[in-house]
Amino acid sequence: MSTVMTSTPSKEATEKTSIGMHKAVGWILHNVVWIWLVALILGFGMFNEFFLSVMNMQNITVQATVLGMLGLAVALPLLVAEIDLSIPANLGFSSAIGAIAYADWGMPWFIAMLVGVGVATLIGFFNGLCITKLRMVSLIQTLSMMIILQGALLALTQGKTLTNLSDGYVWIGNASIGGWPVMPLIMVLALVIVGIMLKMTVLGRSIYAVGGNPLASNSAGIRVDRIKIITYTIAGFLAGIAGFLLASWQMAITSNQGSSYLLYAIAAPIIGGVSVFGGRGNVVGILGGVLLLTVIQVGLAITNVPSFYVGMIGGFMIFIAVAIDAVRVRYFA
Amino acid sequence: MTSQTLKQDASADTEFALRIDNVSKSYGAFYALRSVSLNIRRGSIHGLLGENGAGKSTLVGIISGQRSPTEGTIYLNGTEVAGADVRSMEEAGVFLVTQEPMIIDHISAAENLMLGIWPSKGGFVQWRKLKADAARMLKGSGIDPTVDAGRLNAVARRKLNILRAMFSGGKVIILDEPTAALTVPDRRQLFDFMRQLKNDGVTFIFISHYNDEILEICDAVSVLRDGALAGGSEDIASMRSEQLSELVLGRGLVLFQRERRSFESEPVAVSLRNVVANHVNLDRLDIRKGEIIGFTGLPGAGAKELAKAIFGLNRAKSGTIGFDGVEGSSLPQHPKAAFDAGIAYLSDDRRKDGAVGHLLIAENIALSSLDRRAVFGFVESGKEASLCAGYFASMGIKAPNAEAVVNTLSGGNQQKVCLGRVLATEPRLLILDEPTRGIDVGVKQDVLRIIDELSKTGVSVIIVSTDTDELVRAVDRVCVFGNGAIHQTVTGDDITTENLRRLAQA
Ligand SMILES: Nc1ncnc2c1ncn2[C@@H]1O[C@H](COP(=O)(O)OP(=O)(O)O)[C@@H](O)[C@H]1O
Ligand SMILES: [Mg+2]
Repeated sequence: MSTVMTSTPSKEATEKTSIGMHKAVGWILHNVVWIWLVALILGFGMFNEFFLSVMNMQNITVQATVLGMLGLAVALPLLVAEIDLSIPANLGFSSAIGAIAYADWGMPWFIAMLVGVGVATLIGFFNGLCITKLRMVSLIQTLSMMIILQGALLALTQGKTLTNLSDGYVWIGNASIGGWPVMPLIMVLALVIVGIMLKMTVLGRSIYAVGGNPLASNSAGIRVDRIKIITYTIAGFLAGIAGFLLASWQMAITSNQGSSYLLYAIAAPIIGGVSVFGGRGNVVGILGGVLLLTVIQVGLAITNVPSFYVGMIGGFMIFIAVAIDAVRVRYFA
Repeated sequence: MTSQTLKQDASADTEFALRIDNVSKSYGAFYALRSVSLNIRRGSIHGLLGENGAGKSTLVGIISGQRSPTEGTIYLNGTEVAGADVRSMEEAGVFLVTQEPMIIDHISAAENLMLGIWPSKGGFVQWRKLKADAARMLKGSGIDPTVDAGRLNAVARRKLNILRAMFSGGKVIILDEPTAALTVPDRRQLFDFMRQLKNDGVTFIFISHYNDEILEICDAVSVLRDGALAGGSEDIASMRSEQLSELVLGRGLVLFQRERRSFESEPVAVSLRNVVANHVNLDRLDIRKGEIIGFTGLPGAGAKELAKAIFGLNRAKSGTIGFDGVEGSSLPQHPKAAFDAGIAYLSDDRRKDGAVGHLLIAENIALSSLDRRAVFGFVESGKEASLCAGYFASMGIKAPNAEAVVNTLSGGNQQKVCLGRVLATEPRLLILDEPTRGIDVGVKQDVLRIIDELSKTGVSVIIVSTDTDELVRAVDRVCVFGNGAIHQTVTGDDITTENLRRLAQA
């Protein structure tokens, strides 16, 4: 009954170093979004020194804010193994409601803004109800909701751009303190709050469990439907805040406000490691994905890449990030 | 591929269908297998024994091409197989029935049987042949070939995987704990089938935790312990059950036996009245404080269904449950409500609805008691860590630490994690559905002992089980179910293996 173990010390040593190597490569790949991000920043900086200036960095964080809020909003349903495609459309529609509440219904701007965010939250809640209580398929339900909201925005604005926004309303999008823009603080705050919620609260733990195995979660005494509805509702709320921020920053609401964000808002969390199968991902990864996409966009805009190539090169950079992550999951997970 | 006559020249390789030479498998720094060498004689049934986590599934996974060895070689009929995947091994005649059912829920039972081996002509599936073959294979199994596999119960799902391998025409068939989810008559049928195929020259590797099964059906046996070969015998007739247990554990085994007594004079802890639910129609049942009661019966007879109804997983249409003589309230409609009422339930299918596979051990243990240990919705991580460490230790979970991912644990250890989770809710009524299914003999005794000790603190326990040995060793009273109601009750010295077997089949 002896175990056959006759490994010599030298063999053990090589084994150890190879395991160490494996770990190191695994660590690098695990943080690939961040490493890729730094590489791109330095790369763009070499093409154009302006890219590394403080001003441009500020610009990037401002640009990243709306995408960051949307990325968080998209990530929450993904974590419970569902999806919400209507989030960017919700952003546009709810901000228009807020603007109209101010301009046409005569509400004070702050109340009007809250009305917009409230509408966005309700839309999220409604999506959650459809998906859980009516068992609608989230991909299609939220796709149809997206089309409805895009159409509703067009109808509300009659194809025109809304610019009648109060000074108070546009303050946050353009204010700066000591030269630093204020808007990114909202994103940081949202990241921290959602991060704490996911890591430290019963709700967060339930979200990961539901995304990992809904049946087991149900048997473990978690009200699966309720958790899903809550994630959709929070997602709607975040979309509403993002809508306010975007309108405030642009000082205008176009008749297709937000729709250009759709693909990036979905790509950012997934690039940042949020699994489309649910149960995996965290806010640090989401932030990484958001910054990566923003840096690519801004970088390509200010280097002298002919505009005909921008789309293709940007897509290629995203492709590399996703491919490296796939390698990580395959060999180092 | 379907020819079952084996024409072989008289070389040394005719003797062994499979040779496993110095196979090792490591996951990072951890060795799941260490230099295992094993010869499997052609046309024999070779038993493979070992504790949970000993490496049995890993070994057969390597043989079948599911996983690749870190070191070592597999020879099939004398030829080395290197870098083979499942597909090419199946084409070479090696079929594995994995430990966990591999079933695609939304396609028919017939198609599940033919998965990957669809009868085809020029790339087109021959549906008529597929259906006819499936119908022939399922004859006498009680499974409708046209029904979606997702609607079958655990036993039927298990049978689908087994039948696929048995009818595959394969020359080496590996069964990883096939009997764990089978009823007694199904086991008989499986064994008859195996003997029949063996006579046609098929070689089997058969993994089981039940010594009596190994001794009954196998010709030879090998025992794995901690990833290494601990021993075995080419001649099963020379082995006895105790010897096997000792090889498995590396020490003598003390079988657990609860001291049965009458609970007539104890206060009633749980009273169920007029429970009507899917497959359940129960007038009344009283469970005393500290009593362990066994539910048994054929699938669909109501034992499992009643257990689920009490927990809110099988929504009760009517019925009440009362605790400690207080008048009953209606049965919980959701597991959350059940946990809040002090009822805990552990499912028989840990993969499906027992554990959340990719979460950590500690996270799983805490899952059902998160909110009662939370302050304003925040998990108190210190308290939680000590709680999990406690159950991690008292359950004897084999893993580097409580931060290991549950998916990487062997089945029995996953089961212990689930048990830890329900115990952490500190229930007054604990319902365990097949608590030792797929658990090795040593751990089985541990689990039965834990349940026994729990009952002494006043917790009432229901064990749903088709394992008569488990019922004999662990419970005070057995309820045999039929037609959704308690058909017969067995107490005291009448609880014997023979009695229970007879009643279960009646
Ligand atoms: N993918 C994996 N990663 C890490 N460890 C694993 C993995 N698969 C199996 N193991 C470990 O290998 C050991 C053997 O597991 P297994 O072969 O399933 O045991 P058995 O079938 O004998 O119960 C266990 O300790 C298990 O935790
Ligand atoms: Mg196993």
